[in-house]
Amino acid sequence: MASSSDVILDSDMVQYAPLIILLPMLAFPVILFLGRVFNKNPFWKNTLKEGGLIALPVMAASLIISLLLINDHIGGFAGIKDSMNLLWVNTAVWDGGALEPVTLGFGIYIDHVTVMLLFVASFLCLLINIFSVGYMNTDPINDNRNHRFYAEFVLFCSGMLGMVLADSFLWLFIFWEIMGLCSYLLIGFYYERPSAAYAAKKAFLTTRIGDVFLVIGLVMMWDIFGSLDYDVIFNAVEDKEFMAGVSSSTLQWALGMMFIGAVGKSAQFPLHVWLPDAMEGPTPVSALIHAATMVNAGLYLVARMFPFFGAEALSGDLVDLAFIIALIGGITAVMAAAIAFVQNDLKKVLAYSTMSQLAYIFTGLGCAMYLANTLDWHNDSESHYIVVVAFGAALFHLFNHAMAKGMLFMASGSVIHEVHHAHHHLHHHDDHVEGEHDDHHDDDFDAQSMENMGGLASKMPLTATAMLVGSASIMGLPLIGGFWSKEGIIANAWRVAQDDPRFLLPAMCVLIGAGMTGFYMSRMWLKTFAGKPNNEVAAHVGPTNTWIKIPLFTLTFVTLSAIIFAGMGFTHWAPDSEYAFMSEKGLVEGIVYEMEHAFANSDSFFFILTYVAIAIGAVLGPGIAMSLYGGNLAEGEKAKPWMKPVIRLNAWVYSRFNFNNSSIAESGLTRALEQRLYIDYYYDMAMLKIVAAFSKKSAEADSAVIDGTIKSIERGSQSLSSIVRSLTTGSARDYILMISVGTLAIFFFLWGVA
Amino acid sequence: MSNLNTVEPFGEGFISALCPELILFAGLILLIVVPNLGSGKFRIPGTQTRVPWLLGGKRFKLTSDPRLPSWIAVLTIGSSFVMTILSFQDGVERTAIVSEGGTQLLMINAFSRVFELIFFGALTLAAFACMNRLDVKGVGAKLSTDELYNNRRQGDFYILMITCALGMSIVALAQDLFVLFIGLELASFSTYVLVAFFKESKAGTEAGMKYFIVGSVASGVGLYGLSMLYLWAGSLQLDVLAETFALSGSEALPMIGIGFVLVGFGFKVSAAPFHFAAPDAYSGASSPVAGVLATASKAMGIVGLLRILLIVAAPESSEDGTVWLVCLGLLSVVTMTWGNLAALGSTNPKRMLAYSSVAHAGYMLAAITAIGAWNWDETLSGDPGEAAIVVLTALMFHLMVLVAFKLGAFLVLSVLESEGGGSRLSSLGGLAKREPFLAVAMFIFMISLAGVPPLAGFMSKLLVIMGIVKVALGDMSEALATGSELGLSDVHWVWWLALAMVINSAISVYYYLRIGVVMFFEEPEKGRTGPLPAGWQVRFAILACLLATLFMGVASDKILEICETAAQSFNYNWA
Repeated sequence: MASSSDVILDSDMVQYAPLIILLPMLAFPVILFLGRVFNKNPFWKNTLKEGGLIALPVMAASLIISLLLINDHIGGFAGIKDSMNLLWVNTAVWDGGALEPVTLGFGIYIDHVTVMLLFVASFLCLLINIFSVGYMNTDPINDNRNHRFYAEFVLFCSGMLGMVLADSFLWLFIFWEIMGLCSYLLIGFYYERPSAAYAAKKAFLTTRIGDVFLVIGLVMMWDIFGSLDYDVIFNAVEDKEFMAGVSSSTLQWALGMMFIGAVGKSAQFPLHVWLPDAMEGPTPVSALIHAATMVNAGLYLVARMFPFFGAEALSGDLVDLAFIIALIGGITAVMAAAIAFVQNDLKKVLAYSTMSQLAYIFTGLGCAMYLANTLDWHNDSESHYIVVVAFGAALFHLFNHAMAKGMLFMASGSVIHEVHHAHHHLHHHDDHVEGEHDDHHDDDFDAQSMENMGGLASKMPLTATAMLVGSASIMGLPLIGGFWSKEGIIANAWRVAQDDPRFLLPAMCVLIGAGMTGFYMSRMWLKTFAGKPNNEVAAHVGPTNTWIKIPLFTLTFVTLSAIIFAGMGFTHWAPDSEYAFMSEKGLVEGIVYEMEHAFANSDSFFFILTYVAIAIGAVLGPGIAMSLYGGNLAEGEKAKPWMKPVIRLNAWVYSRFNFNNSSIAESGLTRALEQRLYIDYYYDMAMLKIVAAFSKKSAEADSAVIDGTIKSIERGSQSLSSIVRSLTTGSARDYILMISVGTLAIFFFLWGVA
Repeated sequence: MSNLNTVEPFGEGFISALCPELILFAGLILLIVVPNLGSGKFRIPGTQTRVPWLLGGKRFKLTSDPRLPSWIAVLTIGSSFVMTILSFQDGVERTAIVSEGGTQLLMINAFSRVFELIFFGALTLAAFACMNRLDVKGVGAKLSTDELYNNRRQGDFYILMITCALGMSIVALAQDLFVLFIGLELASFSTYVLVAFFKESKAGTEAGMKYFIVGSVASGVGLYGLSMLYLWAGSLQLDVLAETFALSGSEALPMIGIGFVLVGFGFKVSAAPFHFAAPDAYSGASSPVAGVLATASKAMGIVGLLRILLIVAAPESSEDGTVWLVCLGLLSVVTMTWGNLAALGSTNPKRMLAYSSVAHAGYMLAAITAIGAWNWDETLSGDPGEAAIVVLTALMFHLMVLVAFKLGAFLVLSVLESEGGGSRLSSLGGLAKREPFLAVAMFIFMISLAGVPPLAGFMSKLLVIMGIVKVALGDMSEALATGSELGLSDVHWVWWLALAMVINSAISVYYYLRIGVVMFFEEPEKGRTGPLPAGWQVRFAILACLLATLFMGVASDKILEICETAAQSFNYNWA
């Protein structure tokens, strides 16, 4: 790809961009309707995979259009924002005296942030769709209702893509809510299971708390700028005259409110409680919502706020908010990682890992915001570079994490799927009657528990490899995936901490968090894939099917290629022509530059920091994990050559440094961690004591006052009605009497008036 | 008074002017003659020669078909309806039919044409639907005496339908109190018999009897009032009466006369407290007939009221005209409230619809009150003629769309009636499962009656309320625009009628929606689970009503235009 300095102002692809959203949105009713009509039809079931193969081309088309759009945009990348307005409603707002015309239109807004998220979302949606065909359609418990899954799936994708492409905060919010609805439906896919229904409700309500604040933030924004369109707002922010009339603290409050919305959506402390429970949904849903797309919505919203922090007119005014963003990130990173230490459920580990990694991105964004807000980056080229790299690191981590976590969830799904099948095979083999459903959860066997796994590396080579690469990426092992971005986030946190001591806390958190990540990710992999099978079931697990393998393979490749993306300029993904994608230097030069920058930093502080981070995250954390878990595979089992060294190293460390951790395992802290630090407990208590009590009172008032009034009105009118009707006696004599009465009354009135 | 064509009876232009009525008359004669065509021979007196003259004797196969009268009636009234529509095409010329002495007897203008449209439309649909309501056994079937009678009665029923149409259209055209009364009685007597037509059922006979007795009293009182007006003015001509009223309208005699006339027409529109016979009549009559009573007959009463109150006792002619205004306003509020309250607890859907039609009468009276209010107060100068025309337009539109959904609702009940009963709310139970089309149609009629957008009922109610408010505010729009403070005391009291209408509409939603609940959520009555009686005619008529309800709600422009022309042509002193 040649670098181009030409600025292409008009992109032909932009006019097709609405299709990216519309296609899945139209597929939603189609799949739902066909699914209702052709339910149990063999063609529908076996050939169309209950809608899976309708969703697939749709998502593929979305991806292709997205790629063309991105290509167009990158071809002319110079910080140019493509936008297109499709007129929607013309209306007017009464402004005290005159009517002010307002156009509420839907448009497409494309800049560097959009492009990043658009690729992540459309790419992963397609892969997860492929995965779902292999996962959902082979599970007997899903028989005849997968159309519901695929319909909700495409609607969800449509919501995510719409949110990314929308050109105003209003539309962002609308699609945000579509996603919220779909996540509720998808998490509660097994609604007959109380835990799933509860989890769906919890996810919906918790994110709703954030959304309320988001709405408040949006209203404040409207109040300040008179519009929610990005174009209008971002131009206004750059307009110094306009900004002179805007109270920066009000603006900071507005942004803060919106940030709370992002906290809810991205499951950050203190609104994180929904995410682990949301693992009740089918695994593709976990991959979709909790790794690839929805949780990134919050990050996207914060990234969208960048122009406020970067505005010259607001220089230094939004530091507090930047600190809060970084702090929330830091706290969550450590807290989630700590809880992940003790989880035995494969998916729950990944859930906490997601929270922790998203927290990294928040910290990275917070630091980038701080730098943009304090440095004179518009004029000073060195500061400019710092800001761009800080922002780029956060976005690049988003990319890396989405890819790796999507893969990890899908791989875990593959493991769970096969463990369950093995269990089923072993225990229900004899008495299985055709057509009779058997529920996963009809006995105590938990296919998601790592206690039931172990030594799977030789049985599921591709899955184990994918899991290994994904874990390495999340841990930040040098050269793999997340390493490039994580180092950047840690470095920037410390850079800011040098400037503002408040940031020491988040900076320490992300550094310690790196080690903790190393521990729990290694623990997860080792418990699942290394060592000897923990029970009979794990010994009978077989390899997985092709539908599941395709996305795993693709994502393994993508994650391993992170260095290439880094070389292409992903680390300074910024709205500037100067640091544009691929325009600064060639690919090879870029890779060399990144390497040099990472491992041989000229600044001694950052040089040391890099190696400290590597030591903690890639040596210390995994080392402790190895000494506690895993070991050699069972006799006769052979792992693939690339996993052999890992397992051998593990076996060596295990035999050499194993220590008894029972005192730690039984400590109060461990128990607290197992109880998720009691946060859920206290939330429940608060709900019961305050909200439920209030609700009860409201319900009483409702039935007594409102219903009571209405009921008594109804009773009153009914009795009045019977009185009135009782005058209709059925006797013509009485009717004539009434006519006479009426006539007399008329004369009475005529007399009175005249 | 420009562009008035005067046509003498049987003179030039007579046929084109009275085309719909003449068609009806021809149809009436056909209906009497055709079923009697047979091999009858006439013996020339004093000889043995028998000349075949086709009347009597053994009926021909075609003419003995018991369905024949119904088709003749439908085609007759239907073609009158079509001719009326066609007459709108090149604009209705204002034509008066005058006697040899030069007195105006009938007046054909856009106003009367609109009412003809309402009458003929309602009667065509009802006659068409009655083909399924009045069961006949086919030719050649082995018939019992009862069935034979039933077949023979077909002709009678449809003759009454046509005379009813004829009487109503004469009321719409009349320019003379005498002609008006003749038309009124022609229509009334037809309806009395139609109500009592099912003499096998006790309810039908009783209802017809009561309707006849009470109606006679009301007619008598009305006639007494008319005679007083004659006594006072010495003329039966509406225009002469109007002139005289302008001179000496505040005398006692015309006041008493108008009071009596109010009673007479109050019965026709079923205004409280003259409505008592109506619920009995509606529930005793077969449903299509009840539908005619609730739409066409009511419209006829409204025409009479408009003629007497707005032409004779014209508000612009007298400063003391307010005498009947307060009276009518009170009457309207009492009527709408009474109707709605009574409908609330009614468990017989036909009675419920009867009471709802009483309530609608209240709304119409409120509209007439508003028209009457337009320039009597000093505060209402401005351009009030415009406001009055707006209200009259709304009133006519309301009467027009009422045919669509009120008659439609009665027709749905008529299907249930043919099955064995539509007089209990529970007979509608499970209709949604038994025949979804009927249930959906009924539901749409109900919400249209309640005034839910975007249906016709919403449009008409909205227009009436808007018109009343417009009259009430009068020329205060300028004061409103400049933002000067205005209290409710500055508004003409007819504003309260609009408020009463709104409140009453809210009450009415309860019983209209209850029908929907029963149809969609309750189980059918015992033994009524099977399919409903077949019959495409009634379903076709229901479909027509349904489409009209939907169409006139969303695309009312053209019809409103017609109504506006009609309203302008009503009183030439206004324009």
